[in-house]
Amino acid sequence: MNIPSLTFLDFQPVLPALLLAVGGIVLLLTEVFQSAATINRAYQSMVALAFSAVAGAVAAATTLEPAREVFLGFGVSDPFSGAVTVLVCVGLGLSVLVSAGFLRHRNAERGEFYALLLFAGAGMSLLAMSNEFITLFINLEVMSVSTYALSAWLRRGTRPSEAGFKYFILGAFSAAILVYGASLLYGATGTTKLSELAGLLPAAVASNPGLTYLGAGLVAVGLAFKVAAVPFHMWTPDVYEGAPTPVSALMSAGVKATAFASLVRVFLPFAQDLGPNHAQLMTYAFAALALLTMVVGNLMALPQRNVKRMLAYSSVAHAGYLLLGVAALFARPTGGEGPLAVTPLLAGAEGAARQQTLQAILFYLLAYTVTSLGSFGALAALERREDEPRGTAWDLEKFAGLSQRKPGWALAMAAMMLSLGGIPPTVGFMGKLFIFRAAVDAGLVWLAVAGVLASAAGVYYYLRVVVYMYMRPSQDGVTVPERQWTTELALVLSTAAVVLLGVAPGTLSAWLGKASVLFSQ
Amino acid sequence: MSVENVLFWVFALGIVSSAFLVILARNPVHSAMALVGAFFFLAAEYVLLWAHTIAVLQVLVYAGAIMVLFLFVIMLLSLTDADLQPGQVTLARVVGGASAAGLCLVMVETLSKTKGAGQVIAGEQTQVFGTLAEMGRVIYTQYLFPFEAVSLLLLVAIVGAVVVAKARI
Amino acid sequence: MIPLTHHLILAAVLFCIGMAGVLVRRNALVVFMSIELMLNAANLTFLAFARDRADAAGHASAFFIIAVAAAEAAIGLAIVISVFRSRGTINMDELRTLRN
Repeated sequence: MNIPSLTFLDFQPVLPALLLAVGGIVLLLTEVFQSAATINRAYQSMVALAFSAVAGAVAAATTLEPAREVFLGFGVSDPFSGAVTVLVCVGLGLSVLVSAGFLRHRNAERGEFYALLLFAGAGMSLLAMSNEFITLFINLEVMSVSTYALSAWLRRGTRPSEAGFKYFILGAFSAAILVYGASLLYGATGTTKLSELAGLLPAAVASNPGLTYLGAGLVAVGLAFKVAAVPFHMWTPDVYEGAPTPVSALMSAGVKATAFASLVRVFLPFAQDLGPNHAQLMTYAFAALALLTMVVGNLMALPQRNVKRMLAYSSVAHAGYLLLGVAALFARPTGGEGPLAVTPLLAGAEGAARQQTLQAILFYLLAYTVTSLGSFGALAALERREDEPRGTAWDLEKFAGLSQRKPGWALAMAAMMLSLGGIPPTVGFMGKLFIFRAAVDAGLVWLAVAGVLASAAGVYYYLRVVVYMYMRPSQDGVTVPERQWTTELALVLSTAAVVLLGVAPGTLSAWLGKASVLFSQ
Repeated sequence: MSVENVLFWVFALGIVSSAFLVILARNPVHSAMALVGAFFFLAAEYVLLWAHTIAVLQVLVYAGAIMVLFLFVIMLLSLTDADLQPGQVTLARVVGGASAAGLCLVMVETLSKTKGAGQVIAGEQTQVFGTLAEMGRVIYTQYLFPFEAVSLLLLVAIVGAVVVAKARI
Repeated sequence: MIPLTHHLILAAVLFCIGMAGVLVRRNALVVFMSIELMLNAANLTFLAFARDRADAAGHASAFFIIAVAAAEAAIGLAIVISVFRSRGTINMDELRTLRN
């Protein structure tokens, strides 16, 4: 019997995930030894923060290494997975900072909360490097199970458990669809490894076209639920509204980013190895999904007077812009073929164009992570727990006159809203610029135009928040919760990132450009 | 028709009818019992597919552990008559049912055209295929990454379940 | 020998029955049971193809899916309990605090 050997090189890429998991276990164990008399939980957020920071730094180092298969092809270590892990750790760190103040204010700070956050982060990091369907499914579940528990964390009123329940049912439903699709693809190709799948797909399509398409379609639907693409977005507003605000922030950032990463990893072989006809079909499919998601997300956000719900629909809209990038990634502009081919590219330039598109997607994911964490963070600073049972904690009116009461918070929130709306000089603008440019380069001009129009509509509801903060008088008797330095630190960090990266995106963009390398056979 | 074929149809009928019972029964306890039936018939079907180990696991984990958990929760909730009333027939539910039926037709149509590899289990493989030894060999030599990931998943599930079911935080 | 397609169609029917259960039933527990049916359909497909290809990878996949199903059951039932505790019912029609 030949037993394959594993070396340190196999374990090195999972180091960030291991660190996060160890951090979670440390928090769980120290929580056990808290005695009722001398309870002190201030260290917990700092421990969680330290572990996410170290994990992020380790992951950043992996982006400099060449892409390779690890664990006998069940995982890959490539710059892309490293970059996604860094992104997850950034989201995790900011989310921990926001959580500390949020939970203390509600007297709900426990080691388990941070432990679950870190476990979710570990799942995300492992998901980014999963290169086999069953591994992908398990890591997706690690991420999801932690977030189900986190969304039902608070015990006040009926909202948190309802959010947790809705998230769980739709999450489990989509996971079942995904794994059934994977079983059909296994039947069509005889493998569940994505690296082997690429080579076997052409033969599978030739002999069993229906089976292959059905399998791929079901896997796509399963992942579309996770990225909240229309028409699989129904859970988003309810879950984001009911979950604790820092958790909604992590869901909109980390969960979405990693789901996009696996979407790209799973479907790039379909676009790459099946010839131009399939690439075009995939581009059309994802372009349609992107269009629908952008339009519906923005339209649904327009009438929302509940800011948390508005941010939820806005996250649907942003998934649409990202899908636009994914569609551009799959487009294969080789000139002269079909209506999509507008810019003829040289054959060798195709890889470079792909890398540029991937870079745009990564940049957008990072921009959205920072901005979304910042906006949910400002919301968390502002919401009073007394208003939660009635559901008025997130009303637009609560923002009225915020610039006089809390000028710092108002400034941070204004920066976030401008960034979400894609207005310079913010990182959101640069992200949109890159992604629309990638779409135009890929020949999807009409889709880029639609994206610009949709985001122009979005500016209305983002600016409405700014108008309320700066131009409406403050309501009588409205108090804001006391300041928490952790939340304010998160706001300062994310505002600084939003503005600085908006003014000078060069360094980050160059680094992401190097990190936009996917493993391929 | 061979014995194998007769058994297939018997088990298939058992699976489909108990699955229908799961989603049609008004009382969740009846659904749960029907689900146990479905799991048992599935285990029998797995034996026909030479997956003996998975068949045993199916009975142990699904029909054993998971179903006990379900029944335990049903008892814990002590549902009232109001919970057993059928809900209103809404447009969403009609559309949902119809789309599931439509998908079923499409899938049956597509899958009936499947051309299998038709690999015959022969020689030495007849002795080992589907056995615990063979599965252990595959899982512990190749599936290291998912195996370790599952350990993390089970830890997360335990912590999550304890936290969520706690009455107060 | 039983043809491969028989098993595939059986799994597809099981999957769709599960999906119909999720979309039509309003009792949270029954919806959850329907999701278990869908996971079992995936398992049946994996095993049918494993038999067809004489490949043990399908068996390993089914093994891991069972493990995931157990983890999902634990967290899912805990969430059902917390829903019941907070509002005394598990009818999904009555979960409507979060609405537009």
